[in-house]
Amino acid sequence: MSDHNHNIDITERFEFTSKEKMVLIGMMALGLICLVATYFMGGKDGELRFWTNFLHNSVFFTGIAFISMFLLAAKVLAYSGWHTVWKRLLEAKAQFLIFGLIFMGVILLGTKLEWHHLYHWAFPGITDPANKDCYDPIIAGKSGFLNTGFYALATFGFGLIWYLCVVLFRRLSLSEDKNGDESYSHHKKMKIVSAFFMPFGGFTSAALIWLWIMSIDSHWYSTMFAWYATASWLVSAVALLILTIIYLKSRGYFSYVSGEHLHDLGKYLFGFSVFWTYLWFSQFMLIWYANIGEETIYFDGRMTNYPVLFWGNLIMNFVLPLLILLRNDTKRKYGTLVLVCCITLFGHWVDFFQMIKPGALHTEHEYHEYACATHDHHDTKNDHGHHDHDDAKDGHHDKKGDDKHEHDTKSYEGHDKSHNSDGGHGEKQGSVGGDHGHHGHKFQMGFDIPGLLELGTFIGFLGLFFFVVFSSLAKAPLVPPNDPYLGESLHHHVGYGGGNMEGDHDHH
Amino acid sequence: MSKNTEVLYGLYNDEEILLDALRNANKKGIEVMEVYTPFPVHGLDDVLGLSESRLHIAGFVYGILGTMTAFGVMTWIFTRDWPIIFGGKPYFSAPAFIPITFELTVLFACVGMVVTFYTICGMGPGITNPVLDDRITDDKFCIAFNVNDASNEDINGLKSFFKETGAEEINTKTI
Repeated sequence: MSDHNHNIDITERFEFTSKEKMVLIGMMALGLICLVATYFMGGKDGELRFWTNFLHNSVFFTGIAFISMFLLAAKVLAYSGWHTVWKRLLEAKAQFLIFGLIFMGVILLGTKLEWHHLYHWAFPGITDPANKDCYDPIIAGKSGFLNTGFYALATFGFGLIWYLCVVLFRRLSLSEDKNGDESYSHHKKMKIVSAFFMPFGGFTSAALIWLWIMSIDSHWYSTMFAWYATASWLVSAVALLILTIIYLKSRGYFSYVSGEHLHDLGKYLFGFSVFWTYLWFSQFMLIWYANIGEETIYFDGRMTNYPVLFWGNLIMNFVLPLLILLRNDTKRKYGTLVLVCCITLFGHWVDFFQMIKPGALHTEHEYHEYACATHDHHDTKNDHGHHDHDDAKDGHHDKKGDDKHEHDTKSYEGHDKSHNSDGGHGEKQGSVGGDHGHHGHKFQMGFDIPGLLELGTFIGFLGLFFFVVFSSLAKAPLVPPNDPYLGESLHHHVGYGGGNMEGDHDHH
Repeated sequence: MSKNTEVLYGLYNDEEILLDALRNANKKGIEVMEVYTPFPVHGLDDVLGLSESRLHIAGFVYGILGTMTAFGVMTWIFTRDWPIIFGGKPYFSAPAFIPITFELTVLFACVGMVVTFYTICGMGPGITNPVLDDRITDDKFCIAFNVNDASNEDINGLKSFFKETGAEEINTKTI
């Protein structure tokens, strides 16, 4: 066994080079430029494009940070040993959580101060039954959950408790490096943090996903949604983890993270991709089969008006990872692994894109028809070049809006008599994504597909994310020297007979 | 079965000792007939120079067969043989076929792989396989040599190999 540890230096520390800093700062600058450019030059609905891009990337990377902590907690509780050599990466990624929460705070502030109209439930006066023109009985019925107060409480209440767990866990882990003892007292305390975090994070993340993303389609809801979005985070986090490990290996670190570890991470990527598909399909299947208008509206709009997003999502996140990773050896080759990680990372980013954009665009159009939209805002909008758009539609939209409203209230009351407890039924006519009756859906860059500005913003967030990760990584040894499972992790072996990965140490 | 095999085998107490013994045998160029262990030992395949199993390729083929069977039969039934409208859906309702397609894929792959595995290993109902020693299904690790045509000198050499490498017991058996 002694030859196992031959040439392995587990005391190495990651050095955050100035070149890397420059590249990451460059990425952040690009992202910032793209965000600003989206706001002022994003074409029609440019402001909305800015806010949805900001929300999209904030949610995506906050989720990756959350899942990193979740994986850590799961591994500690499951007596997992093989992850120890790369567990510092999860710790470092979880540190991004506080930035994500700050970004979500900006979204919250924007909701409160009406900088944007991402959330239908936040329209002024929409829950006020006295105001007949603005009142939406369905949203009013949900207002106990969908209001800025609860949004703030959940984002910061739940989010900060998550972050507290991240900080506690990290502190224990660093303290173990210095004062680790034979009774593994640090590890036992980590178990307590994890045992709290797992159920707490599991339940509260669902509530946050409902608030952050699902409530964009305010009338619609799905009980599968939180699972499905969490699975999307999970696959993205694993893909990013594998890419980070391979990058660090290419820089000469992590010689002891072998094909065995990558093979198992590849299985994660494969398994969680299939898991995501299972949840996606379950949600789709239930809604498709039941064929209730209030529910099918979500998929109908996306399938009809956003076919690239709808089908591209399935191809990138199910078909390609399934076919590429089904073979054993593709999980042990850098080329295929990097390829499939890039596909799924981008694919799940697009998945969140299609969760957010069609609903937000629809909400924006609703706002323009909305009787209680503040006049100030209409004027500002017109100044920004929305004049044509609004004027052309205003005529019949006002009328249509009124008709719809009456119809809506009636149908809702009908429902109310028959199902008293079931306040969520009765959807407005017209499908998601601005398909207003005889107006066909028109292609809009940044909504129908991600444009260059979206990609730039993604790169910017990626830069910030890795700046945080690498800064955190440089502060501690790359491998926790006193972790009780270190030995097991160094000797991890999956029993695959197909040979070692390039650059691996010979095991025997 | 047609011809009995004379087997000389040694029992070891630990898988690491077994692996070291096999490395030793490789170095000396001794031909090993078979190795028996109570559980899968990491690294054993490499030491014995076994190539990767192709069972999973068979599994993939069975799986695809299941996929096509399920999807094909359902399509044929619902569009040609006995078209019925369910819940206002079209006759060819692909999403509704997926759960059963999935189940049959798994079923075909599992059953097919089990049957293939049993066939390859010569196992199955009514077949009795000779067991060298009951304890190799419990806590002993065994290396077996075929000594049918071996001279006394060879057998003595193998016995001393067992002693050198730390075997707990050395026995012979005809199977």
